[in-house]
Amino acid sequence: MTIKIAQLSCGTEYSSVQYEIEKAARSVGASIVYPDVSAADIDKAVEDFGFKPRSPQLKLMIARAAELASGRYEADAVFITTCFRCAEAALVRNELRRYIQEHTNLPVVTYSFTERLKASQLLTRMEALVTIVTRKELLARERQTGLTVGLDSGSSTTKAVVMENNKIIGKDWTPSGAVVVESATQVLNNALEQAGVSFDQIEAIGTTGYGRFTLGEHFKAKLVQEELTVNSKGAVWLANKQKGEATIIDIGGMDNKAITVRDGIPDNFTMGGICAGASGRFLQMTSNRLKIDITELGRLADQGDWRNAKMNSYCSVFGIQDLVTTLGEGKRFEDVACAACHSVAEQVYEQQLQEIDVRHPIIQVGGTSLISGLVTQIGEVLGEQPIVPPDSQYIGAVGGALLSSGFL
Amino acid sequence: MSEERETRLFMISPRSMLTPDQLVRMVHSFGDEVLVKETCYGCLVEAPRVKVREILAKVRETYPNEVFSKIRAYRCSDPRRCRAQHGTRPGFAQLEEEWALLAKIQYGLDQVEKGASYSPKEDRKRLDVKAFKKICEVQ
Amino acid sequence: MKIFIDPPNSLVLFDLVERFGHEPLSTMAAIQERVDNLEVDMPPMNVTLDDVVKGLKYAGIEVPSGIRGRMALWGPLIEEADAAIIMEDCPYSFGCVGCERSNLMIKYLVHRRGIPTLTVRYPETDEDAVNFVAQAKEWMEGLK
Repeated sequence: MTIKIAQLSCGTEYSSVQYEIEKAARSVGASIVYPDVSAADIDKAVEDFGFKPRSPQLKLMIARAAELASGRYEADAVFITTCFRCAEAALVRNELRRYIQEHTNLPVVTYSFTERLKASQLLTRMEALVTIVTRKELLARERQTGLTVGLDSGSSTTKAVVMENNKIIGKDWTPSGAVVVESATQVLNNALEQAGVSFDQIEAIGTTGYGRFTLGEHFKAKLVQEELTVNSKGAVWLANKQKGEATIIDIGGMDNKAITVRDGIPDNFTMGGICAGASGRFLQMTSNRLKIDITELGRLADQGDWRNAKMNSYCSVFGIQDLVTTLGEGKRFEDVACAACHSVAEQVYEQQLQEIDVRHPIIQVGGTSLISGLVTQIGEVLGEQPIVPPDSQYIGAVGGALLSSGFL
Repeated sequence: MSEERETRLFMISPRSMLTPDQLVRMVHSFGDEVLVKETCYGCLVEAPRVKVREILAKVRETYPNEVFSKIRAYRCSDPRRCRAQHGTRPGFAQLEEEWALLAKIQYGLDQVEKGASYSPKEDRKRLDVKAFKKICEVQ
Repeated sequence: MKIFIDPPNSLVLFDLVERFGHEPLSTMAAIQERVDNLEVDMPPMNVTLDDVVKGLKYAGIEVPSGIRGRMALWGPLIEEADAAIIMEDCPYSFGCVGCERSNLMIKYLVHRRGIPTLTVRYPETDEDAVNFVAQAKEWMEGLK
């Protein structure tokens, strides 16, 4: 079955990226389609929508969205994309995302591209769209069964979890090395040892994260799935929030993710765009500059006040300039650490959380959720303290172990 | 250059009584080995450029003001632009709009042929602020 | 003469320019050149990263990529043109002319070249159309 992803876009063909978009879709078993509209439909759709852009292609996007909302045109998911730096298109893109979410049950992802866009950058997003459509039943799984392993090969750290009958019986993590299989083998062996089981006894393996394909092949995994859906399953399992709604915030080492779930099934998500600026990487850089271990950053931040050392991590290069300046001015380390956490929290709010409709409770996960100062700042920015479940850094691995047990 | 392919779109004005089927039959009757594809608005013709230009001249001669034409970048049924592959192509709505305009252009060509000439029209000006103020005061 | 048409994909303008004895310079020709190039495989239009980079000649790096890609198609046509005909207030322009900022840039580049240019309004009525056709015909006959 080919999944139909409806593309609502402006500028892709003239930016030399349409081919890359289609390549990404093809590689996850999907095809890109354009909802059919006539010139007369466009007038009516724009009038009904109420936002009247000057650019005709944006009007066409609106009309195509209206076709999807009316159900006249059937698709399985929606991809909304426009040129980076175009203000008119950014307004339309965001409002159409909201419109699609209000009028359909289709998973939707938005993206602003430059001419340098490559298919690999879209792969995780496209794969998540397809997973949400095709693996609804698997994603509804609430309990882990049998003896399974989850491996999460992230950009910063590699994690392994061994689970048996819905309990974690072994776990380990290590900073990701150059060879993903080596890092994974190391954490897997340690987790198996802790669990007191051998590799031969394992009934199924699930891999996720950037290295998922390599690990999946090497370990003959039953489940190889992108981190958006896997992490969200792990998060709701760890937080014991399988029923009802929630928003999951995962500030990763290279990109940030915000995922909304309903009864444990992810239905929408957003993933940091073309820059790793406001991610865990920035906090790592701050720790290095302060000459402290990243595990101490959160405690230090909780003793400071960000108002005393303003910082902006929108771009990590400018962020580091801010850091150098504030330290040069002799600001307290506590205030600087707090400002770094606050800045990342602000960016998550301004970038990711504007692209989804936040549902409560908010569950914060990933390695960075262990940085208490960052959790405090997310709470301050959102006006609601997020829940940080135990083993919150193991979401991907737990999700992998949980979902792979569905193949037993 | 003359051997280079040309794909040309012929569009019948909505004011014309000519049908796409008649147009296609006429192109076929020229007896040339060309690819002709009937469409809802007229037809697509594909052949070496010289041949296509000959057909264009004959169509113009037979239906001077009711068939319009432009070149098409893609070959007939090119999968990169074929509607069956993805849905409508980006310029589809543009063609629909222009098709509607052809009725007026046909009328314009007919009248110009009969001797109508250009007469500059005064641009519509915005109402003078003072005049507008006066109207408001009266109200 | 080579006449650049704006909108560059307009059927009406392409037809009239040819009808009155000139060579229209259009997007279709620029795209045909690309789609017929079998050495490039960037469907659907074979507009490549190189094209978008070439567009920097007309618009800076802070300008969205879609505008620069379009400029790479149209810029050389405007440079090649001996004259231009521009139709303003078109109710719609789709396909290659879907970006309003790019459309503004075309008009500016034509203006900057200083070539003979006829600017006409989109005809709303039959009478407008008579005037438009007559004006275009007279202007193009005058160019010979």
